[in-house]
Amino acid sequence: MPRKIALTLRDPELLVGVVILAALVLVAVAGPFLWRVDPLQIDLLGSLSPPSLAHPMGTDDNGRDVFARFIWGAQVSIGVALAVTLAGTLIGGLLGLMAGLAGGWLDLILSRIMDAILAFPPLILAMAVAIGLGAGMVSAMIGVVLAAIPWYFRLLRGEVMRLRGLMYVESARALGASDLRLIRLHILPQTLSTILIQASSVFSFSIITMAALGFVGLGIQPPVPEWGTMITEGLAYALTGQWWLGVFPGLGIFALAVAGNMIADRLRDIYDPKSGVGV
Amino acid sequence: MLKFLAERIGSAILTVLGASIIAFVVLRALPTDPARLIAGPFATEDVLNNVRAQMGLNQPLVVQYVDYVTSFFRGDWGFSYGAGKPVLPLIAERLPASGELALFAFIAAFAAAVLLTVLVSFTRSRLLDGVLRAVSFVSVGVPPFWISLLLLMLFFERLGWFPGPVGRGPAPGQLVTGFFTIDYLLAGDPRGALNALWHIALPGTALALGSFGYLVRLLRANLLDVVHEPFVTVLHSKGVPPVSTHFRHILPNAFLPTLTAGGLILAQLLGGSVLVEQIFTWPGIGTLVIDGITRQDYAVVQSFILLSAVIYIFVNLLVDLLYGWVDPRVRRS
Repeated sequence: MPRKIALTLRDPELLVGVVILAALVLVAVAGPFLWRVDPLQIDLLGSLSPPSLAHPMGTDDNGRDVFARFIWGAQVSIGVALAVTLAGTLIGGLLGLMAGLAGGWLDLILSRIMDAILAFPPLILAMAVAIGLGAGMVSAMIGVVLAAIPWYFRLLRGEVMRLRGLMYVESARALGASDLRLIRLHILPQTLSTILIQASSVFSFSIITMAALGFVGLGIQPPVPEWGTMITEGLAYALTGQWWLGVFPGLGIFALAVAGNMIADRLRDIYDPKSGVGV
Repeated sequence: MLKFLAERIGSAILTVLGASIIAFVVLRALPTDPARLIAGPFATEDVLNNVRAQMGLNQPLVVQYVDYVTSFFRGDWGFSYGAGKPVLPLIAERLPASGELALFAFIAAFAAAVLLTVLVSFTRSRLLDGVLRAVSFVSVGVPPFWISLLLLMLFFERLGWFPGPVGRGPAPGQLVTGFFTIDYLLAGDPRGALNALWHIALPGTALALGSFGYLVRLLRANLLDVVHEPFVTVLHSKGVPPVSTHFRHILPNAFLPTLTAGGLILAQLLGGSVLVEQIFTWPGIGTLVIDGITRQDYAVVQSFILLSAVIYIFVNLLVDLLYGWVDPRVRRS
């Protein structure tokens, strides 16, 4: 393990991903304190002004400062994506653990449900949930979590089944270790890197999917500054020269998604070289 | 082979059933009033009661579900109050536009991915490999609706090289397949076909990028795997020239597993079309779905959701069978 940690720390590509991610987290966390402009402040006289010192990313059609909206949008996007990733990991991982350990009927039923969820293209499943529950942040988040659950489920179920058959786990069981002890001491630590890799992928997925839902009007609702809806608002001005409305929020989504994917990809190469390409 | 066939088809049917239950639960059994979902927010109580009776919402849930599934497979997909038409013909008349766009996006993604990956792997240049990896990351991470916007701003507004968001361009005189490029060619008008292709270029690129990036990653990983197989060393030591080793032995083996990505790519195209078509006012199903969402005309959207799952399962089944047919090792496992 220490050799791998050394590899992790020295990996240039991984570093790039982490730096991009850290920079945007910094923007989200420190931004509101350093750039004290209200993202909701309307100034109709100063609407649609191009990027300048006073407005580094220009202003939108309501004269709101795009940079302030970008900062708050970063907070919203990163916060939501983290929550979604965490929820997906916990629910999907737990179900996968249960199915892998219990086997039998429970495994069969859960696996069938997961197959049915996987039958939908992920974005369309998230759309369906957002429609069913009513457009808004929480329903969109539930939709994205639902789409992510089967990935974790399959991963952990497979890992548990593989590990369960290994000699040292069987020995521990023969010595009378309970299921809980087996999971805590022998199975979970072995799967942590796999979970982390999956989580980085899911983080990227939820960044893009939440923005896509916002873009089609099913995600976070205006006036909350959210990158996807900001692009929708910028669409009307894209061909009349006001490029800054749509370009900057998209750049944010893009940077976060690429960072997440890069981290996932490098971690996979270092910790799990046999598994190939992920989602 | 027969056992393999029966197993896969049976499993696909089970999955369709599961997917229909999920679509039903998500769209019908949730706390929102499905009648209001269909009839829209401004519907009067009369209309709502009508819709409720029509949808059988006063029936027990199980009866409703059975009804829902049978009417879906009978082709009775409800009525779009927004368009004033039944949903099935509405979707059917939009299918060629989406199909043509997706087909060209797929061809472009596949051709570009294979060409670039194979060339880069053949040159064995670390630098080019790094560039290819970066390109694949960028294409996978870029939101399709944002790249659509950028392409339009650059290639239409600034440079004027490609048409703006005007949809498919002029229709050919006689529609045979509904694919403009093919219909123009059938009518003996190559200029018309080129013009149709010219309209497809930007939305097609926006739609293709995600699949392209994914294919590059997959193919690259496979190529790296196969290069280290013992049989390659044997070929080298027997003096087989590198070009022949690469293109006749390594490539076919690395190529096969990309078949399994077919389903995933279809999912990307289905989801992507919803995001891309609207921006280019492409008269396809994606635009129809977005219009349905914004006008809260959900009959269309509901059908699209289950339909996309059914298509997805069907393509995955096809890929599975094809893979089993091409590679006998899969059948046995």
